[in-house]
Amino acid sequence: MIEVGKDVVVVGGGPSGLAAAVKLAELGCRVAVVESGDELGGILIQCIHDGFGTKLFGKALSGPEFASEFIEKLGELGVEAWTRAHVVRVRRESGSWALTAVSPKGVYRFSCRAVVYATGCRERTPFEIRVGGTRPAGVYTAGLVQRLVNLYGVLPGKKVLIVGGGDVGMIVARHLHLEGVEELLIVFPEPWFAGLPRNVQQCVLDFGIPFRPRTTVKEIVGKERVEGAVLVRVDERWQPIKGTEEFYPCDAVVFSVGLVPNASQLEELGAEIDPRTRGPAVNEYFETTLKGVFAVGNLLTPFDYVDDAVETAFIAAEGVSKHLSGEARRDKPIPLRPGPNVRLLVPHRVEWASGGDITLFLRPYAEKENPKISVRGSKGELYHDRRRYARPSLIERVELPRSLVESSPEGVVVDVE
Amino acid sequence: MKLEGRVRKVLEKYPAYNLSYEIRDGVVFLYGRVKSYEEWVEIGLEVGRIKGVEGVVNRIVWDGYPAEKVKEREERRKRIFEENKDRVVGSYDVVIVGGGVVGAAIARELSRYQLRIALLEKAPDVATGATKANNGMIHAGVEPPRGTLKRKLNVRGCRMYERWAQELNFKYKRVGSLWLITPRTLEKYKRFLPGPLYTLTLKYILPYIVVLKGLINGVRGLRVVRGREIFEMEPYAARDALAAVYVPWTAIVDPYEVAIALAENAAANGVEIFTSTEVVGFLKEGDTIKGVVTNRGVFLCRFVVNAAGVYADEIAEMAGSPEYTIHPRKGVIVLFHRSTGSYVRHCLAEIILPPPPRTKGGGINPTPHGNVMWGPTAVEVPDKEDVSVDPEEVQLVLTRYSTALSEFPRDRVIRYFAGVRAATFTEDFVIRPAKWVRNLLHVAGIQSPGLASAPAIAEYAVQKLREMGLELRGNPGFNPFREPTPSLREMELDEVEELIKRDPRRGHVVCECEMVSEAEVVEAVKRGARTVDAVKRRTRAGMGECQGARCLIKVAMILSRELGVPLPEVLKEEAPLFDGYVRGEAW
Repeated sequence: MIEVGKDVVVVGGGPSGLAAAVKLAELGCRVAVVESGDELGGILIQCIHDGFGTKLFGKALSGPEFASEFIEKLGELGVEAWTRAHVVRVRRESGSWALTAVSPKGVYRFSCRAVVYATGCRERTPFEIRVGGTRPAGVYTAGLVQRLVNLYGVLPGKKVLIVGGGDVGMIVARHLHLEGVEELLIVFPEPWFAGLPRNVQQCVLDFGIPFRPRTTVKEIVGKERVEGAVLVRVDERWQPIKGTEEFYPCDAVVFSVGLVPNASQLEELGAEIDPRTRGPAVNEYFETTLKGVFAVGNLLTPFDYVDDAVETAFIAAEGVSKHLSGEARRDKPIPLRPGPNVRLLVPHRVEWASGGDITLFLRPYAEKENPKISVRGSKGELYHDRRRYARPSLIERVELPRSLVESSPEGVVVDVE
Repeated sequence: MKLEGRVRKVLEKYPAYNLSYEIRDGVVFLYGRVKSYEEWVEIGLEVGRIKGVEGVVNRIVWDGYPAEKVKEREERRKRIFEENKDRVVGSYDVVIVGGGVVGAAIARELSRYQLRIALLEKAPDVATGATKANNGMIHAGVEPPRGTLKRKLNVRGCRMYERWAQELNFKYKRVGSLWLITPRTLEKYKRFLPGPLYTLTLKYILPYIVVLKGLINGVRGLRVVRGREIFEMEPYAARDALAAVYVPWTAIVDPYEVAIALAENAAANGVEIFTSTEVVGFLKEGDTIKGVVTNRGVFLCRFVVNAAGVYADEIAEMAGSPEYTIHPRKGVIVLFHRSTGSYVRHCLAEIILPPPPRTKGGGINPTPHGNVMWGPTAVEVPDKEDVSVDPEEVQLVLTRYSTALSEFPRDRVIRYFAGVRAATFTEDFVIRPAKWVRNLLHVAGIQSPGLASAPAIAEYAVQKLREMGLELRGNPGFNPFREPTPSLREMELDEVEELIKRDPRRGHVVCECEMVSEAEVVEAVKRGARTVDAVKRRTRAGMGECQGARCLIKVAMILSRELGVPLPEVLKEEAPLFDGYVRGEAW
């Protein structure tokens, strides 16, 4: 057994985990990163397209470039990182945490006073959107295809159907187009692409990749290998319209139908899970309901920009140092509640007695032009902020003065009106 | 004569059609044409129910009958037959056709004796037919009708499982089943049972009828449970459950694990297993089979066992003893995430009488790995290979079974799949020497409770072979035990530590959802896995909530390395996973 004692252990060496580790080291904590993959960088390793870091560094980097900014800093700061180490067990032991990880080098045991979970998210599967038909070779998720093409040089098929009009789907479509896939079609149930407008232009329109809005896949066809898919038109409520079924011949179907936080380990540990985000419920420093256990990045909710994910890690790092120095918490946390037009809201409560302003991330249900982001307390509106537009595909970031939330101890409701 | 009259009477119910029949040694052959496939099934079943009918060969065609496809298949077989009929692979005492749980069980049972045995399987792996899509329940034997072979072999088979599990080292849990009786149980008969009589019947009469049925079938130990005890046993059982019958013998297994374990042990005891080997015909001398012709060549043989599942009727036909037609019955199963395991302790079912047609026989059961399965459904389908799932059927399963539990996270579905049962029209197991071929043993029509009966089926089949003239001399080298594969997920950490010292791959986690190490994947390949799905069935890599999105490539890379094939040529089940290299070049 290899014993390692630290102040903090970061579980997950993707961008958020790396950012948390860097910030923690800068704050003077003894920190270790535990990564289950072969190398650091997480999902960014396979994201060879650019567009990362526009908010944080003011320039558009590729995924590996963005990751290497942090990996280099980590090295400079002398932070230890273990790769190919998979955390199998976490236990609370008299005020501290004990993590056990398995790796080809042996079994590690980390004891620490705080844990930062940065396990990211996973892709939703065709089963989660109830696609019917068979289960042959040739059905993949988009992230898998991205990995396959960019890191292994292998193509999923020659005629590829992409299901989902989000960013991942569009980016993968462009890669496949450039790598020589003969025929592509993107289908999605929304009236227009759900991803960032810049991706619509740069990934789809610029390359003339065909797409069909208000369409989804009803069935996969093919015994051993995909032979095609049954497409169906959907109405405003995404319900299939009977009689509009159409067979589309293809040899691969790629699903890009949403991301879900990888929160199972936290759930097993007993952390409260928010049914809206399916990630852990957290306080203003992104601490879960387990004291000393923090969650950052896409584990909270999948972010549109890695820059935002990284910001949660920076904020959590400050929380960790508050936790380590034993700062006071409120007797009763102040709940932050989503309003009627808010699909998800992170964080979920204000728990610390003091601290900086509170950063909120929220995603609206309905698209609104010139909307008002409002925060209401028990005595009426406390704050509002006008935006140019708000849409479900974009996470809105809001910064609230702490005193304002504290003035409504029963809780506040955040909405997009 | 009597039989003829009864068959004629059934056909007379369909005056619109010009149907005819022929009876040979108790086997009824039906001819003619009907409008729908449903009618085809209905007529077959009705004739099959006639007492004294030993088999129904339903040669009636229906509108939409895929004549082209059937012809194509026959021509393909003929072509492969011609190409391979002169090339001898080897000479065997027994050739078993079909590598499902039944074929594997018979192979292993025969390996106790000094015999040369070949097991032929069409797919690249064993257990890829009905076996892999089974819900893994080992039934106690309460349900099969009295007087059937099913009943006899089910009751005996269930009792034999524990020993199998010990010898073969597969996961086996005797969880018992709990059959709930609720106000919905006899809803269809409610009008005959006015007022308090309804509840009374449900609470005090019906449970004992079930217990009695068990006793008649030879299943003892059934117990009626009422009131609080139901919820002590099954905390999330339907709140309105009035009574329940507890069956202590019911167990759960992974059906493919059982078949794989059997095949591995059979192979260790000398059985030669040939995968990707499809039977296309027989070489015969009079009424005796001399050789089994496959795409690999001819397997000369003294005896043939037909355990070909949904293809058993075609094998029988090719061999010259058509005695039954398989009418495929599809079942859809919905699988839930492991976190749902805490909601269900027993194999759970809500008794509904009469059973709703599309979900007859299904229920809720835990799996040995802590997942939960709902289903299967039961739908007649014309195509034996139709394992497609209609999303509406998933919904049907979710609706039908949700009344048995008061609370259950129904949204945590991680997969659904379908399999096809090999039902005959007599709806009983057909395990008997062929009527018109001297050395062929039918082991056909093995549908539910086939998995539960498998140990007894194997024993019974070997006994039949002995009666047919196969001499059985004990194999002194027979070893009934199969080495388990150490699984990272189940090991103690100090044990893991030790193993990593010897083999670092033990500590390399390939599948994070199910915690499968590289060493386990390599071991699976060493034990015969050739495809990604074969590795999945042996290790569980890819069975978690991400459904392989993260580990698929890693497993494929290991297969590519271990088998020495390029990554794009690694198979999923029968077809390559990927298409080829980017711009046609290997990196």
